[in-house]
Amino acid sequence: MPSIRKQTLRGKVAIIGIGMSSVGKVPGKSPLWLAADAAGKALADAGIGKNEIDGVLSSHAFASPFHRFSVAFSEYFGIQPTFSNTLQVSGATAATMFNIGAAAIHSGLAEVVLVVGGDSLLTGLTPDLALRSMTESRDQQYEMPFGIPVANTFAMTAHRHMKDFGTTSEQLAEVAVVQRRHAMRTPGAQQTTPITVDEVLNSGMVTTPYHKLDCSLISDGGAAFILTSAEHAKALGIKNPIYILGGGECYTHEHIFLMPSLTTTGAVESSRRAYDMAGYGPKDMDLAGVYDCFTGTVIMMLEDLGFCPKGEGGRFVEDGQMTYGGQIPSNTHGGLLSFAHSGIPGSLFHFHEVIAQLRGQCGPRQVPDAQLGLVHSLGAGFATNATTILGTENTL
Amino acid sequence: MKKPMPAPDADSAAFWRGMRDGALLLQHCGDCGNVQYYQQAMCRQCGGEDLAHRAASGRGRVHSFSVVHRAPGPAFKADIPYAVLLVDLEEGPRMISTYTGGKPEDVVFDMEVMLVCEKVNDEITLPRFRKA
Ligand SMILES: [Zn+2]
Repeated sequence: MPSIRKQTLRGKVAIIGIGMSSVGKVPGKSPLWLAADAAGKALADAGIGKNEIDGVLSSHAFASPFHRFSVAFSEYFGIQPTFSNTLQVSGATAATMFNIGAAAIHSGLAEVVLVVGGDSLLTGLTPDLALRSMTESRDQQYEMPFGIPVANTFAMTAHRHMKDFGTTSEQLAEVAVVQRRHAMRTPGAQQTTPITVDEVLNSGMVTTPYHKLDCSLISDGGAAFILTSAEHAKALGIKNPIYILGGGECYTHEHIFLMPSLTTTGAVESSRRAYDMAGYGPKDMDLAGVYDCFTGTVIMMLEDLGFCPKGEGGRFVEDGQMTYGGQIPSNTHGGLLSFAHSGIPGSLFHFHEVIAQLRGQCGPRQVPDAQLGLVHSLGAGFATNATTILGTENTL
Repeated sequence: MKKPMPAPDADSAAFWRGMRDGALLLQHCGDCGNVQYYQQAMCRQCGGEDLAHRAASGRGRVHSFSVVHRAPGPAFKADIPYAVLLVDLEEGPRMISTYTGGKPEDVVFDMEVMLVCEKVNDEITLPRFRKA
């Protein structure tokens, strides 16, 4: 529908600055500090001062449970924005911050938006907060009395995928192996020791079919991004703006037992909308950041995002299609499985990586001539899905 | 350490009363025929409010499952390993529960299961499932 596409934010908003704190084990630093450290780096990268920010979007932090994290952040950072919100759709929050930040700029609500998140799940949680982080997002009446952690909901989707499509534990493990190899080339990654499929399978069962090494890390860390209008980016003389070409979201259920299908998710619709707006399809993407709370999640997403047919995700990964030289190099920084996973902001690292790749700044792990990238964030047992498509100036 | 207990609300009070009396109450919509497990005072399909509670037969089939080996908090440590089930009830709705009355490794896909009303205290009885 080209007549609708004309009104969208496609190409109207550029990412002009990116920043990241140290990640992994960062003791003695609060979520607000991690977010502020990343924000300072993003501003320096953009070459602008903090008073030029007029919008702030953030995620929540388990270790600093402010109701209004974005507002607490602004006070901590010493700014008084005229547009702000703290978004909460679990793991999908990262991509929604980009989509909403771009919409705010496109609509005139703000001109320079800081997208920021930070949390310290590894060193900053009291035992009480740690328990809350694991269980509070599940239904207190219908799920928690049975002892159902969020990992379990994802596990049941992967398990059914194995039953329906013959996906194997070895194929799940291969995702972890590939991403560990990626992390080995990423400075600052939390886990850089090479692993094998056998080591994944022998790492101890968490909740079938997931072993310890099928599960993402627990980390400290923050990331931040500066978004502004394409015109303002030009006026500032930004050398390597990366544009938001499309965004899409989809929310299919709240409770895992009301998920329409355990093996096909809202990512189909969220990515379709993002592709539609961008005017590109899955085959055009040079790389992807795919939310990887668990290995099986990646396999299902490679299918739902259109990189391979439904049911073939396992073989796709086994054939080397999610790494360099394959169809869609994914999570080239190592992802939540090996780079870092500091909770809700975890997927911001996927954005940091895809943007750095599109800028050509990734050195030994650079995807050659990367021009178009997709980031998909999701959460809460696939209840929430959000996709953002990014491109260089050449792709406008 | 105590396990989390459901706190019945306006939408679910009748359901938990039913459990206490040994019945798993499903909501049947008088307008469109939709059957709901998750309790709400409005039909999810048509928005109608003519909902009648009827006891489920208790028969179901395992759509998916996962055996928990790492407990979500100290309250569940003594229970591991336990199998979490997604059960498709004979009447249509899918629900989440856990397996009882056997070893978790006995659970397989599409296994026929039967409701067990497990009394936890004077207020709360939980719906669990055993092999049929
Ligand atoms: Zn109805």
